[in-house]
Amino acid sequence: MRWTAFLCRLAVGGIFVYACLDKIQHPQAFAVDIHNYRLVPWALLHPWAHYLPVLEATAGLALVLGVARRGAALVLGGLTVVFIVAIAMALLRGLDISCGCFDTDGGHGVGLDLLLRDLVLLLACLPPLLVRDSGPALEQLWRGRP
Amino acid sequence: MLAVALALTALSWALRPDRLPLVADPAVYELELAAPLVTPTVARDLYEAGDHLFVDVRPGTPAATVPGAFLVREDSFDDDLLRQFDFLTPADPLVIVGDGELTAASNVAGRLLDRGWHDVVIMSGGLAAWEAAGGPLAPREAAP
Repeated sequence: MRWTAFLCRLAVGGIFVYACLDKIQHPQAFAVDIHNYRLVPWALLHPWAHYLPVLEATAGLALVLGVARRGAALVLGGLTVVFIVAIAMALLRGLDISCGCFDTDGGHGVGLDLLLRDLVLLLACLPPLLVRDSGPALEQLWRGRP
Repeated sequence: MLAVALALTALSWALRPDRLPLVADPAVYELELAAPLVTPTVARDLYEAGDHLFVDVRPGTPAATVPGAFLVREDSFDDDLLRQFDFLTPADPLVIVGDGELTAASNVAGRLLDRGWHDVVIMSGGLAAWEAAGGPLAPREAAP
């Protein structure tokens, strides 16, 4: 279980770090993607467009490097739940929009495949969250093992 | 974790030239854009490929622009278009460059589409984002 949790840490953290790169570079286009979901109030649209990619980067890097692993897994799991709810609501309302997950240039449209992908991502957040020893981690340097 | 990300966000927001205003202007987002958005990275690829012409819609006379960009401003659209008559034809694919505010860019794009252009895109983020993406700049000629 230790190595499963370790692999999940690398995979989930790596995915979120990769996902943030384009959003950090193009906040305006990402704000348009967020707005298309019609869920975020105007007052929060721009702060969220700046904050979300940085949160993904911070938690993703923390999970990969092994700093505050369980907190990082909790944050990324929470974000994934938010994404699942947003995609489900877009599907229920029949919105034909790009998901804004990895690419602000149009990218992947929202669909059931995205829901499935995010459910898998959510499951992958569980081992680092629930397993106490999830493999090599930077925080072992100052906390001792595991 | 949340607080660290918040602090980093505040820092990057303060430092980056293409930061969004803290509060979104609903008019920008409710606007049905006349042309699709492309990122500065894609715009730079189009620039380097050499097939697209760039149209600068910013008002006034800022110091620099995309090299070779044509000046077609919203408030002097007809005069500017007439001045570029020999160089800018409806067969040319266009990239609209503004100051990051999409209303003027979309209005110019819509008017160009009305005049017969069919391949028009708007670069998101304006010239600051273009510069941040490593796009080249050249001095802009004084507008009449």
